[in-house]
Amino acid sequence: MSIRTIFSFLLVSVLLTSCGDDTTTIDTPVNYEFTRSGNSSVSFSGQTARIGMATELVKAMSDLDQDATTLTEMYSNETATGGDADPFQDADLNASTKSVKSKVAASTDFFASNTAESAEIKADFQSWIDAQVSEVFINKDNLAQAGSAGQIADGSSVRYVNSKGLEYNQAVNKSLIGALMIDQICNNYLSPAVLDAGSNIEDNNSIIVADGKSYTTMEHKWDEAYGYLFGFSADPTDPLMTLGDDSFLNKYLSRVNADSDFDGIATDIFNAFKLGRAAIVAGEYDVRDEQAEILKEKLAMVIAIRAVYYLQHGKVALANNDNGGAFHDLSEGFGFVYSLRFTRQTDSDEAYFTKSEVDGFINLLTDGNGFWDVSAATLDQISEDIADKFSFTVAQAAQ
Amino acid sequence: MRSIKTHLVIFSFCMLVIISCGGDDKSTDLNDSFDRSAMLQDWSDLMIIPAYESYLDKLTELRDRKNDFYNGGSIDDLVAMRSAYLSAYREWHKVSIFEIGKAEELALRNYSNIFPTNVEEIIANIDSPDYNLELPSNYDAQGFPAIDYLFYGLEIDDAALVTRLQQENYKTYVSDLVDRLYDLTSQVLLDWQNGYRESFIENDGSSATASVDKLVNDFLFYYEKFLRAGKIGIPAGIFSGSPIATSAEAPYSDIYSKAFFLLGFDAVDDFFNGVGHDGREGISLKQYLEHIAIDNQSQNLAPLINAQLQSARLQASDLNPSLQNQVIDDNNKMLLTYDELQKVVVLFKVDMLQALNIQVDFVDADGD
Repeated sequence: MSIRTIFSFLLVSVLLTSCGDDTTTIDTPVNYEFTRSGNSSVSFSGQTARIGMATELVKAMSDLDQDATTLTEMYSNETATGGDADPFQDADLNASTKSVKSKVAASTDFFASNTAESAEIKADFQSWIDAQVSEVFINKDNLAQAGSAGQIADGSSVRYVNSKGLEYNQAVNKSLIGALMIDQICNNYLSPAVLDAGSNIEDNNSIIVADGKSYTTMEHKWDEAYGYLFGFSADPTDPLMTLGDDSFLNKYLSRVNADSDFDGIATDIFNAFKLGRAAIVAGEYDVRDEQAEILKEKLAMVIAIRAVYYLQHGKVALANNDNGGAFHDLSEGFGFVYSLRFTRQTDSDEAYFTKSEVDGFINLLTDGNGFWDVSAATLDQISEDIADKFSFTVAQAAQ
Repeated sequence: MRSIKTHLVIFSFCMLVIISCGGDDKSTDLNDSFDRSAMLQDWSDLMIIPAYESYLDKLTELRDRKNDFYNGGSIDDLVAMRSAYLSAYREWHKVSIFEIGKAEELALRNYSNIFPTNVEEIIANIDSPDYNLELPSNYDAQGFPAIDYLFYGLEIDDAALVTRLQQENYKTYVSDLVDRLYDLTSQVLLDWQNGYRESFIENDGSSATASVDKLVNDFLFYYEKFLRAGKIGIPAGIFSGSPIATSAEAPYSDIYSKAFFLLGFDAVDDFFNGVGHDGREGISLKQYLEHIAIDNQSQNLAPLINAQLQSARLQASDLNPSLQNQVIDDNNKMLLTYDELQKVVVLFKVDMLQALNIQVDFVDADGD
């Protein structure tokens, strides 16, 4: 840990020295704290709100008494006719005009001119929400079987699955990590198309703050990316102290970071966010973009590693005849596989996996009776195909 | 302390290197020189099968007393039925660690002893005749914890309880719960008596699917999840941050929870040390560890494990007969007991499994 810190320090020094005659220095703070005229210039309340809404939605999907209307309103934060809805327990969320749905598959880079696919992805989530009620909840008192929805034991807990063994609440939870968090961070807020939009560069160079705010628009965009990862942290200025504070990207960064093969990935990500933000303050846009590339790569790894992890754990559980445990793992794996579509290759306009590649994986998982008859060979093949695009092995991810 | 441990690790590593340099498959030979098959035979014949036989006897007794109660209906019948319930519940703790084969297939433990019981679900089932006790969502509405509620939690007054339990819908439910415990357990015993014993003993290799590896894993799973966490850790609030007294075992009869914990603890201790159901000693994990220590000229873990088991037992002896009350009155004693139990987990799960070259086949649940 301390060696790593020294390393990062050296790295920063190297970066600084490499700036040569350039007199600007990048002042990277210890915590994610940036101020202007004594006020914090960091804000991501909208991201915190969306994580809160997604949290309530996912929780409500496990409540067997919920109806589709309320669940849908949690997704869209409006009524079927577009009116104001108050579906949340947290009054602040009801007062908010934001919603999960409006930011699903909604990044500038991937979906601004690809609204057809965006609509398709938004509809996927809606269909899982509807089916949770119409297929699963109505069969809650039946034992699940190949081809029919119902309940299934996972150890001493009960899981509720569709006819293919998929838990829709897990599909929604884990797919949102890609479709909401990763897409917004990597394909929207870290993108030069957003950071440099309009007069953002001139405004940032001349420190012209957004109307009535203490931040420049470019600073704010970067912070919004940060908020999708750390917006639910107990102390967002020092989020590594309590990693795992939400049920989404933060939680799974914590899980990957706990695997000794990937130890330190959370620090790398936090440092890149910090340095990138400090670079914006210093007007060093090349340094900013280098950090954005680091973030895209590391965040994509989090998704890919967890996808492989759950497919492999599902495989082992199937071999042990533990269908309930296997289906739970595979349901989580399904969501992480779905999320691959949103991961962003470094220095590229492309995702690590095309839509058709991800659709192919999903089809393999859900073919026929789905998890009831998926083979170990298929799970291995998908795992290998995922790991092949990265520098980790299936075995490293599976731990 | 730390450096000693590091040295030990380095030392053992050197040993491994030396052994593996020694030529052909010496290391596996050393492992194989312990008679696993004989140990499996003692496990079956001295421990597992006698424990199931005795448990089924107690369940037969409970079923008979339940039938007497519904044929008669006096307070004496109630008292006899309760007493049979307590005997069966005690005996249950001798078999719960052996969740393998048919017991595993049937999920015997899930249907027998998931607590805290779900009173709302029990009432709903009593009120509607079409409940399905096979559903996993009914795990917590059946078995001993549900009976504990029905026999001790429904009414304060015994005469009132008799009247209540004699109502037709209560009668159906109580009978179903008692008969189901009996039916499931007889299937398990029958399976051991009709071939499973032989295949269990024959499967004497050392792979993830071999009997020793599997039962040792089941034993550890029981120790970690059901003894350490279920009986002590969860009510003490280890996992939730604040104590939950009502999550103690059998909170309605109330005064037996420490005894049940100790019976489960005894079962663990006896299994490790090879003490059979009637007290006869058989081949055990303790001997296996001794054997390996001699062969490898390494430290024998068995005395360390037994010393720590003894510390845990000593700490637990201080507990109130009602763990529910212990949580309320002085939860610190629960926490201290948990800490001693946790030290055994490390010895079992890390040190012992490494020595026996057994892989852990269960992981901590994700929490979601």
